[in-house]
Amino acid sequence: MGIVVETPGILTTVQDEGRFGYQQFGVSPAGPMDSTSFSLANLLVGNPRREGLLELTFSGPTLKFTEDNVIAVTGGDMSPSLNSQPIPMYQAVAVNQGDVLSFGMMKGKGTRAYLAFAGGLDIPLVMGSKSTLMRNVLGGMNGRKLEAGDKIDFVHPRKTLPDMEDRRLVPAEFGEREIVLRVVTGPQDTDFSVEELRRFFWYDAEITNEFDRMGCRLKREEPLKHLGDGNIITDGIAFGSIQVPPNGQPIIMLADRQSTGGYSKIGTVISVDLPKLTQSMAGSRVRFVRVSLELAQELYLRRWEQFNRLEKRWGV
Amino acid sequence: MEAKFLLTGDCSLSVQMGEEISLAVNQRVRMLFLNLTTCPIEGVREMVPTYASLMIHYQPEVLRFEVLKAEIVKRLDHLDSAEKESRMVKEIPICYGGELGPDLENCAAFEKVSVEEFIRMHSQHEYYSYMLGFAPGHAYMARFEEPFHFKRRESPRVRISGGSIVVQLNLSNLIPFDQPCGWNIVGATPLTICDYQKEDPFLVHAGDWVKYVPVSRKEFDAIKEEVKRGMYRLRTYERTVK
Repeated sequence: MGIVVETPGILTTVQDEGRFGYQQFGVSPAGPMDSTSFSLANLLVGNPRREGLLELTFSGPTLKFTEDNVIAVTGGDMSPSLNSQPIPMYQAVAVNQGDVLSFGMMKGKGTRAYLAFAGGLDIPLVMGSKSTLMRNVLGGMNGRKLEAGDKIDFVHPRKTLPDMEDRRLVPAEFGEREIVLRVVTGPQDTDFSVEELRRFFWYDAEITNEFDRMGCRLKREEPLKHLGDGNIITDGIAFGSIQVPPNGQPIIMLADRQSTGGYSKIGTVISVDLPKLTQSMAGSRVRFVRVSLELAQELYLRRWEQFNRLEKRWGV
Repeated sequence: MEAKFLLTGDCSLSVQMGEEISLAVNQRVRMLFLNLTTCPIEGVREMVPTYASLMIHYQPEVLRFEVLKAEIVKRLDHLDSAEKESRMVKEIPICYGGELGPDLENCAAFEKVSVEEFIRMHSQHEYYSYMLGFAPGHAYMARFEEPFHFKRRESPRVRISGGSIVVQLNLSNLIPFDQPCGWNIVGATPLTICDYQKEDPFLVHAGDWVKYVPVSRKEFDAIKEEVKRGMYRLRTYERTVK
């Protein structure tokens, strides 16, 4: 017993931390688009931070509970309500059998929400992961997004959790129309002249509507110019890799990215800044700021330690 | 061993072992990959070998960049060909032409050889799997003798069937799933190239050697049936190194 999907929302998928170890075989890792909101949702309900949950995109599903449990919603604001009464986000909420959880459309304050269930969802592991990779019909709910009538069982549901009142966080703010993303340059920053690299950081770009779980295409007024033709000997791609194809319009590679690619990559968006991008909308503007790898890793570790503290405080 | 360390953000690192697509450079990538597989470094999450570099994905909470880099430098100093590559060659049956290989006759005509001679050129030599990418189980494979002269089709097909074998120049890849494709199709294999239900889902790995073995349509259907019933056993042989 667990949840029954009454309406699925636009794009609701099961995601855990991602499928690792199979990129060498051409399998994208998938996983959450916003890893911070993903981890916080799990931590609020006492789960290990990597547990599988639901990622909601643009609009949420309507779910009926067939068993009591504790849930939490983080990320973009889609006005969650329980039995038509608004419920707070970034807070653990006890739900009862028969309750109906529903969402509205996004309100311009983030595009992806994360819905975690205490004790996790009973989803079979495919190559070690619950994450859905729709492109290859792999993992999650039979490799697809949720559909009306789907039933997902809970693994270890909880009627309540210790310190329910304490399980709340200050909600993150999303929805700025101009975002700043910090970038570590490389691996092919030398495919651009010093002036061109400077222009990459100096001028902003627009987020186009070619923006999905695989990547986000940007549009610059002045396309970037490569020293060569923009093609490289195919090499590895990271979450946040900024590819610059021969047309000079950057593509930021995201959760469902291909594991390898043959375009020059001017830099990589740092991990802690990726949620700002994956929570934003077409039409917003992006500016890049160059930082050192040391700073990027320092910020990564700071976030890691914050998660550790919450895990210690709330883990069950 | 010489290598360049390229920055790929805060959770990975690319070790570039050369700047060309060649067996020699790729085998250096494989040596480092095998070394790190045999004696793993804690905090390395996974590695992706490509033509000329090894992408190392790691967890900064366990392993910082400078520590990883220093360790790799140490490993590079002690890499040697003692880490023996497998000499096993996987035999992959291919049914050429007909509806399974609609471009076979055109390709032979382009090469100005008979269809039989084209099949011989394609199937007589062993292929090396440089890397996997693009789709699950999709290997980039090349032979080192008798390259063809044609490249891609003028207009790509919107959808080709999984199992197809496609060719250009000295390259020939097996297509695991239905996909768009601009290469010429000369045949198909009855084997499953990627099966998530198997313990090892992937027919071909990076670093494998492969030989295509021509089979008739009748044999193709029979093998396909055996595969379906889980009875088919892949044939292999030992490669003679010149």
